[in-house]
Amino acid sequence: MKTIQLTVNGKEMTLTVEADQRLLDVLRNNLKLTGTKEGCGEGECGACTVIMDGAIVNSCLVMAFQADGKSIQTIEALDSEDGSLHPIQQAFLEEGAVQCGFCTPGMVLSAKALLDKNPTPSKADIQEGISGNLCRCTGYHKIVEAVEKAADTMKEGGESHGTARRGTK
Amino acid sequence: MALRVVGQNEIRVDGKAKVTGKALYPEDIYMDNMVFGKTLRSNRPHAHFTLNLEQASQMPGVLRIFTASDVPHNAHGVLFKDHEVICRDKVRRVGDPMAFVVAETEKEATAARDAIQVSYEDLPAVFDPEEALKPGAPLVHEQGNLVYRFKLRRGDVAAGFQESHAIVEQEYRTPMVDHAFLQPESGLAYMEEDERVVVCAATQYPHFDQLEIAEALALPTEQVKVVNPAVGGAFGGREDVTMQIHLALAAQHLKRPVKTTYSREESFYAHSKRHAMVMRLKTGADREGNLLATQVTIYSDTGAYASWAINVLRKAGVHATGPYVIPHVHVDGYSAYTNNPYAGAMRGFGATQIPIAHEMQMDALAELLGISPLEIRLKNAFVPGSVTATGQTLSESVPLVECLEAVAEKLGLKQSLREVSP
Amino acid sequence: MKKKGKGIGCTFYGTGYGNGFPDVSRSIAQLERDGSVTVYVGATEVGQGAKTVLSQIAAEVMALPLSGIHFVCENTDETPDAGTAAASRQTYNTGNAIKRTAELLLKEMKVTAARHWGVSTPGRISMDSGKLVHPENAAATLSYREVAMIKGQELLRVEDSFTAMTTRLDDETGQGNPYWPYTFNVYGVEVEVDTDTGKVSVVKAVCAQDVGRAVNPKLIEGQMDGGFAMGLGYALMEDVNLQQGHMKHDRYSNYLIPTAMDLPDLEKIIVEAPESTAPFGAKGIGEPVMLGVAPAILNAIYDAVGVRMTEIPVTPDRLLVALKQHEGKEGI
Repeated sequence: MKTIQLTVNGKEMTLTVEADQRLLDVLRNNLKLTGTKEGCGEGECGACTVIMDGAIVNSCLVMAFQADGKSIQTIEALDSEDGSLHPIQQAFLEEGAVQCGFCTPGMVLSAKALLDKNPTPSKADIQEGISGNLCRCTGYHKIVEAVEKAADTMKEGGESHGTARRGTK
Repeated sequence: MALRVVGQNEIRVDGKAKVTGKALYPEDIYMDNMVFGKTLRSNRPHAHFTLNLEQASQMPGVLRIFTASDVPHNAHGVLFKDHEVICRDKVRRVGDPMAFVVAETEKEATAARDAIQVSYEDLPAVFDPEEALKPGAPLVHEQGNLVYRFKLRRGDVAAGFQESHAIVEQEYRTPMVDHAFLQPESGLAYMEEDERVVVCAATQYPHFDQLEIAEALALPTEQVKVVNPAVGGAFGGREDVTMQIHLALAAQHLKRPVKTTYSREESFYAHSKRHAMVMRLKTGADREGNLLATQVTIYSDTGAYASWAINVLRKAGVHATGPYVIPHVHVDGYSAYTNNPYAGAMRGFGATQIPIAHEMQMDALAELLGISPLEIRLKNAFVPGSVTATGQTLSESVPLVECLEAVAEKLGLKQSLREVSP
Repeated sequence: MKKKGKGIGCTFYGTGYGNGFPDVSRSIAQLERDGSVTVYVGATEVGQGAKTVLSQIAAEVMALPLSGIHFVCENTDETPDAGTAAASRQTYNTGNAIKRTAELLLKEMKVTAARHWGVSTPGRISMDSGKLVHPENAAATLSYREVAMIKGQELLRVEDSFTAMTTRLDDETGQGNPYWPYTFNVYGVEVEVDTDTGKVSVVKAVCAQDVGRAVNPKLIEGQMDGGFAMGLGYALMEDVNLQQGHMKHDRYSNYLIPTAMDLPDLEKIIVEAPESTAPFGAKGIGEPVMLGVAPAILNAIYDAVGVRMTEIPVTPDRLLVALKQHEGKEGI
């Protein structure tokens, strides 16, 4: 057992975790943030993608104790309590980038990390940015189109409002 | 007819829950007092086995280890009830379930599962559908390895080949592949106050799961309720039940919510595969490229269980001509049990394998005849009113030529090789 | 050396269980007190868009916006059996059941309105923007909410079904009408083959998909994109790699499926040819969208390098061996 301090979706918390617990287990089992999915457990599919200190990680490959002192953002941080969606989520919805939805949270977060760093990505940048996230339903095309659309929307709307609004990092 | 809603790009009604991460897949459901199940699976393709549960059942947190003798009616399957819910003393493939261990925590269930001692007595095994049909082949099931024989006869293929100017003959092979849907199987079962058992699992067909669970547990159908939360892709891989009966059985005995979630590897072993097929085709055409005859032999590997073997082979056989008019057709199909993973439904269902064969035959014939791949297809393509190899008239909605022409135009394909500049 | 080639794959697909097996979908429609309609049907949303497409069919019949339809498919207590979410049958089969059920609900609503108005010809009551219109007096209308209120505590609720047309094939000759309807699909691709590495890249792809009638074009395109990706994986990458019954590829680190980097743009052409027995002409396309991909790629490989790869997947190793054999033959 180990005590860690971390920030999850803007909330600071102190948690007691087991030595063999992964960050994914803490998010899902302890915090019931079940938007983070497990698709493979070996860092191949990206369904468990979260943003840790601004960079995407596979939360199945991060041990809980390694998250000590870090700031974590999960899919649950993106939409507002009033029901309005982050521009990336809105674009996924409008462009038909969602089918079964199991890869979607990880895909949205990979897109967010990409756009936070590079607000004007090329198509190749987007394909590379989501290449760690597997999707079996969509063939990725509409996901790429959604990220392109979100980039345009966010450019028009000024700074990335997901982060500005949340102030998580 | 002016349509208002049909034809519109309406936004997916389940989309918002999915982009926000709020959509609940079975593994996202947590209940008070919930316990966890883990499945012990065989690592031998064909063997008799015995289990020693003594050590495992005394492990910390273990509530019960379910085996074959706990299942009232130990059989399930979409066509034939040839799967055991939990194998009694024989496994027919790597991954067959031999016990279902339930403990207070997932970790405890895993530890106890791994502590079960299994003694195997290996049996001769067969891994190829043609080998499986030879006399003396190891029997996967007692009644024999032939699951289904498909025959299609139309016209007189011998005469058709005699009239043919060009004939191509070739064998094609396709492997077993996995659906690889992103959400590995997960499920949760619990008892309602009125003693009904509720199973939440991602399935393609909740009402059929309900029947399978009720039959295996010898319950009236209405005593079983299946809840189908968000499904993380399926493609045919969620037609045969996997853990649904295990969970219902455990919940019934333990009177507590029981959950199990497969790892990716377990998911590969738990659900069906696309049938591997060996397809031998002989196809003949006249000098102008009109198809005259095709003779097709298909061997389909259904692995250890039948699942949809019959329907998949039939679909392959019915579609063996491709979308073309052929007057003389002779198809023989054989679906056989082997000790491979079991094959079942997967997107296309037999109609995915066979086009690899008929479409390569078309190109080979076109080359022999000196015409273009597009030309030979346009010459033989189904049009409204065409009759298929089964004698069915395609009375309407047959826009194959439109599809072909649209693709040819976008791809810059020439209708005739003679149009190519000299 | 990099060599390019083009290929096409032409396919058809018979919808449904087939072979005379009873292929039945049932659904229930209920008029709610607020004038909206709930559809209860055991048709699973696996990601293909069943909830959306089937709701659109109900909305079309009821002349309601999509938001006026509630769609319940998630448990066996509330829903009647609508068969499996497979065989590309939900849009056609369950779509037909829902269309019939919605039409029956509308008929019952008209009977209620006719009684209220004291007219004897409910069949002559028309519908205008979500309201029922009096047969003799166009100014007299009843909203769906008002119809529900007339019924009072009793909810209008109807059930209907649809059974597909299929006959059993003769065991000896395979003759009969096993499936209906048939759906057509054609893919065309251009590949680039690296003859040094054996790697095949698809650089251009076109899909023409017969849909009968497009209920939701964007969802159809999504199916085409996904079918193309799965077909490309089938042709070039995927194999569980059996060794004595063990799968050597049993996880994503060794069972490779396409990533966003593996797929070229797909030009998608939706071809409409409405089918008279289908709901608003719409046929299922979930499976057809995959069928032509692998053959088109295989034919394009031949066009590029002159070898017929008759076994899939065409991995670089396998293609290099075939290219070597081919060179050997040509050298003689």
